[in-house]
Amino acid sequence: MITVATSLFITAALIATGRLLAGPSLADRIVALDVALLCLMGAIATHAAKTGSTTNLILLIVLAIIGFTATVSAARFLQYQPAVAETVTS
Amino acid sequence: MIVGAFIAILAAVGLLRFSTPYARFHAAGKASPVGFLVASLGAGLELGVAGAAQLVLAGVAMILTLPVGVHLLFRAVHRTDGPVLRVDELAPAEVQSQRLHDTSATTQAPESNQ
Repeated sequence: MITVATSLFITAALIATGRLLAGPSLADRIVALDVALLCLMGAIATHAAKTGSTTNLILLIVLAIIGFTATVSAARFLQYQPAVAETVTS
Repeated sequence: MIVGAFIAILAAVGLLRFSTPYARFHAAGKASPVGFLVASLGAGLELGVAGAAQLVLAGVAMILTLPVGVHLLFRAVHRTDGPVLRVDELAPAEVQSQRLHDTSATTQAPESNQ
């Protein structure tokens, strides 16, 4: 049962990776990476529930904070660089 | 946990299928944290108190940070993209804010010269 949940999370991360590869703009790729990171966090949580060890759970806190930092810095970069965003999309 | 994983699947499909950037961010920014929270609720019930405390900490950090990041992304897209919205309520406020910023910059410039 828990294995099914983990594989569903990994499938969601793969779908988000599809948007990461196809995404027409830079912001789409940023948010696709965000969703893939969240799916990775869910997979880590379900795997910890399967093995019963709480060792890896500190990773979730670190990933949440690091993912926020990455998203905010990329959004600030995108906000003042419209030319860069256009060249990346084309 | 199955339910949370299914919500995450829905978020990813919405991210893949929707046509405009705003709709994609809407699907990704709201459904995926809900999916993670439901899954971590199930994992916390499975792991006991020590694991549940760390999961609660991770969930709180995510709830505090993720809407801020998605909001900044929305604002960046609104400023860089062309007019794709049918009703744009933010554009007049942004023009006014820019005007205020310009006037404050011009009034501050002579003071720095003195």
